[in-house]
Amino acid sequence: MTIMEPHKHGDASDGVIGGRQSRFEGGMKITGAATYALEYPVEGLAHAVLVQSTVPAGRIVGIDASKALVAPGVLMVLTPDDDLGLTVATDWYGNRPENQAYLPLTHEVSFNGQTIAAVVAETREQAAEAARLIDVVYEETPSIAGLDDPNAGDGMLMENLSSAWGDAEAAFAAAPVKIEAEYTTPREYHVAMEPHGLTVKWEGDRLTVWEPSQWSHGMARTYAEWFGIPYENVRLVSPFIGGGFGSKAAALAYSALAAVAAKRLDRPVKLAVTRPQNFTSYGGRAATRQTIKLGATEDGVLQAIIHRGASETSTYGVWPEQTGAATPILYKVENFSSQHRVVPVNTVTPGALRGPGKNPSAYGIESAMEELAYKLGMDPLEIRLKNYADHDYQSGKPWSTRRLREALTEGADAFGWTRRSHAPRSMRDGKTLIGWGIGCGTFPVIQAPSEAMIRILGNGRVEVVSGAIDMGQGTYTILAQTAAEVFGVPVSQVDVRLGDSRLPGSAIAGGSMLAGSILGAVHKAATAARDELIGLALNDENSPLRDTGANTLTFDGGRISVPRGEGPSLTLPELMAALGRDEIEIRRNTLPDGASAQDHHLAWTTMAKVQGPTMGDYSMHSWCAHFVEVRVDEDFGTVRVSRMVSAFDCGRLYNPRLVESQWRGGIIMGIGQALLEEGLVDRRNGRTINNNVGDYLVPTNADIPHIQVISVGVPDFNASVLGGKGVGEVGIVGVAPAIANAVFHATGKRVRDLPITLEKLI
Amino acid sequence: MTRTVQLSLEINGRPHALDVEPRVTLLDALREHLALTGTKKGCDQGQCGACTVHVDGRRVLACLTLAAQVEGRKIATIEGLAAENGDLHPVQAAFLEQDAFQCGYCTPGQIMSAVACIREGHAGSQEEIREYMSGNLCRCGAYNSIVAAVREAAEAA
Repeated sequence: MTIMEPHKHGDASDGVIGGRQSRFEGGMKITGAATYALEYPVEGLAHAVLVQSTVPAGRIVGIDASKALVAPGVLMVLTPDDDLGLTVATDWYGNRPENQAYLPLTHEVSFNGQTIAAVVAETREQAAEAARLIDVVYEETPSIAGLDDPNAGDGMLMENLSSAWGDAEAAFAAAPVKIEAEYTTPREYHVAMEPHGLTVKWEGDRLTVWEPSQWSHGMARTYAEWFGIPYENVRLVSPFIGGGFGSKAAALAYSALAAVAAKRLDRPVKLAVTRPQNFTSYGGRAATRQTIKLGATEDGVLQAIIHRGASETSTYGVWPEQTGAATPILYKVENFSSQHRVVPVNTVTPGALRGPGKNPSAYGIESAMEELAYKLGMDPLEIRLKNYADHDYQSGKPWSTRRLREALTEGADAFGWTRRSHAPRSMRDGKTLIGWGIGCGTFPVIQAPSEAMIRILGNGRVEVVSGAIDMGQGTYTILAQTAAEVFGVPVSQVDVRLGDSRLPGSAIAGGSMLAGSILGAVHKAATAARDELIGLALNDENSPLRDTGANTLTFDGGRISVPRGEGPSLTLPELMAALGRDEIEIRRNTLPDGASAQDHHLAWTTMAKVQGPTMGDYSMHSWCAHFVEVRVDEDFGTVRVSRMVSAFDCGRLYNPRLVESQWRGGIIMGIGQALLEEGLVDRRNGRTINNNVGDYLVPTNADIPHIQVISVGVPDFNASVLGGKGVGEVGIVGVAPAIANAVFHATGKRVRDLPITLEKLI
Repeated sequence: MTRTVQLSLEINGRPHALDVEPRVTLLDALREHLALTGTKKGCDQGQCGACTVHVDGRRVLACLTLAAQVEGRKIATIEGLAAENGDLHPVQAAFLEQDAFQCGYCTPGQIMSAVACIREGHAGSQEEIREYMSGNLCRCGAYNSIVAAVREAAEAA
C-alpha cells in the first residue's frame, strides 16, 4: 500500500517516469504568464456577443436587428436569416454526409438558451448592449421540460447499450432475498473555471483559432470542413486550457459564428461565451433515471441483476448517459439484464462530463448493493467482497488487472472500517449523526494511436513535440519525465511543446485515454532518437566513442558513455558537436506499420481508431473504492463530508503527485454531485434557472475535508505500453453512492435522488 | 462613438494611462486594454473569485469594480507579486510545491486571495483557511493542496 503524503520536490529521482516531479508548466501558471485562449494579443480585434432564445420550442418568425445595427460600434449582426455558407463536418466516428449545409443558426428553436444570433462590435461592451436591442418574434410550440415531464414518454431503446446473459427474470423471481429501487440524477454541468470562447483570425484562406481544446486535431478538422478549406490551412492553438472535464472537445455553433464573422469582416474576432450562456451553449451530464432489481441468496450471494435505465437527450441529437455502464462489471452475477433508453426533451444535446455513464450507473448499483446489504443484515464491505467478480461476466474475458479487492481491503484498513457499528443512527457526536459508507467505481481503459516528435538540439536540449493538450492533467510534466528518463538528462534540459494542431497527431484528452496513448508514442520516438544517436556515436568517424568496441551506450546522469563506465564519456552537447550535428529529429507513431496518409488523418481527427476495453484478449479497467464519513445535523439535515479515504487501482502511476491531484479533483466533483449540484429547469419556459455559479453550487474549499488517497495498482502492460491505466475519470465514479450510503447509515433515510439536500432529510 | 474617460491607474507600482468607456470594469481594463491577462475572468458576476486583485492591499473582485473607481488607488495583480529579479513570492512557491492547482485558471485569484488571507490573520488553522479561501472556486478540486500551500506560506511568514 502506498499512501500519498505531501512530499518535497527536488529529488533527482523525480525526473523519471513514476517520479514526483512538480508541475512542469507550474511556474507560468503561478505568475500569470500562462496564456489562455482569449488572452492572445491579436491586433484589430472585433468582439462578438451571443443572443440566446427565450422559449423552449418553436419557430422564429421574425428577428429584427435594425436597432442593434445602428447602435454605437456595431459592425455586424448574424441571424438565422443569413446564409452562412457552411458545410456539415465529419462526426466523431469519421462519418460525413455529402454536401449538407451546416446551420449554426436556425429558425427552429429546440431549447431555451439556444444561440439564435450574434452581434459583433468594436468593443465587447458595445456588442453586449446591442445584443439587448434585437427583437425576436417566436411562434411557440409545445415542449418537454425534462425527463420527469409527464409528456416525456418512454423514449427510444438503445439496443447497443442493452446487455443480457443467463435468465435474469427467472433467477430474480426465484431469489429468496430481493430489493427493487429507482434512482435518479439531475442535470449536472462541467463549470470549468475558464468559460468557453475563442479568438479567430483569417489570413486569406488560412484560419488561426485560439480556443481551449481537449483535442486540437479533431477541432481543426471541423473548422476545415465547415469552410471547405484544406486541413493544413487551419491552425488551432491551445497550450493552456482552463479546465474541460469533457466540455471542450468539439468546435460548436458559437465557434462557427465567430469564424464566419471574422471572415466577413476581414478582421479578427473574439467571442467570449458568458457564464450563464455556458449552461446552454453545450450539454452537461444528462438527467438520468434507473430501476434496479437485485436478487440474492440468504447468505448474500447475488443471483440476478435487472437494470432498466433512461437518460434525457435533445430533440435533435442522441447522447446517451449510459446508466448501465458500470452495472454489469462490478460484481459476479450469472443472470443479468440491462436496458438503456434515451428520452428526447427540449434541452441542448447533453455531453460527456467526467466519468460519463459509469458515474450515474455506479450511483445506481452501489446504492442498490448497500440496500441489499441492509436487507440481509450484512456488512457493506463483506457483501462486496463476497460477490467479487473473478472475471468480466459481460465479455467473458479475464481482467487484465483488477485490484478492486485490494482497494476495498486496504481502503477499509486505512479508514478504520472495523470500528463501524452496522445499525443506522448508531453513531453520533452530540446532535450530529455520523455515518460511514462505501462506493466502488470503475472506468474502462481506452486506447488510441498517437504520434510524437523528439528533437535533440546541438546545445543538448531535448524537445518533445506533440499536438496533445494539457488542461491540468499533467501532460507537459509526464512527457518531460519520459524524455528525461530515456536520455538520462534532468527534466530542466527538456522542452515540451503541446496544444497546436500543426504538431504531431494525438489522441483526444478524454475518456482517460491521453496519457497512456501519447506516452506510448513519446517513448517510442525518444527510444528511436536515442538509438539513432547511439548508431552515430559508435560509427561516425569523428565520434570519440567510435573506437571503444562497445555495441551500445548508456545515457545516465547527463552523460553518454560505454557500459561499465570504461572509456570516454560525453554530454549531449559534446556528442552533438563531435558529430557535427545541429539537430536530430525523429517522429514516430503507434499506428500499425504501413498505415496510409488517410489512416493518419483519421487517427488523429476522429475516433475511428479508438480501442475499447474488451477489444483485445482482456477486459481492462481502472477501479476504485471510496470510504466516506458524513456528519449530519439532526435538526437541520445539513450534510458535511468530514473524512474520506479512497483507494485506486489505476495501474502504474506516471507521476504520483499529479495523479493524487487528479484523483482528489474527481472525488471533490463527486462530493458536489452528491450534495450540491442540480440544474433546475423552469417548468413554464424550459429555462435553466440556476445558470450561474452562485446558484448552481459547486464545492468550495470549506466543503472539502482532507482526502486520503491510496494507490493499490500494479503495472498493466496490456492497458498501455508503460503500464498505466486511466486516472482522470475514475475518481468521481462511486463517490455519490458512498455519500448516499453514509447518509443512510447516519440517518436511516435512503435518498435515491441526487443531490442529497437538507429538505430530503428533515 | 461611445463617450470615453481618461484614467490613470497605478498597477503593480507603475502608472498606466487608459482611455475607456466609463462602464469598463477593472477586470476588462486589465485584460483587454492593458495586456495584464494574469487576472482571470471566470464568471464576470462576482461569484467565482478568479478575478481577485488587491486594491490598497485588500482583496477585491475586479469584475465588480469599475476601472474608474480605482483611480488614485494602489492596484496589485498576480503579475506584480514576484520580486523584480523573478524570485517567487512565498505563496507562489508554496502553490508550486504543494501542487495547489491543475488547469491554472483560478490560480492567480487563489494566490492573490491567499496573500491577503495570510495578511488578514486568517490562516491560523486549516478550518480558518478553508473558510477564508472559500470565495475562490477551483473546479479541478485542488482545495486540499491550496490549504496546505497557504499553511506552508503562513508558517514561513
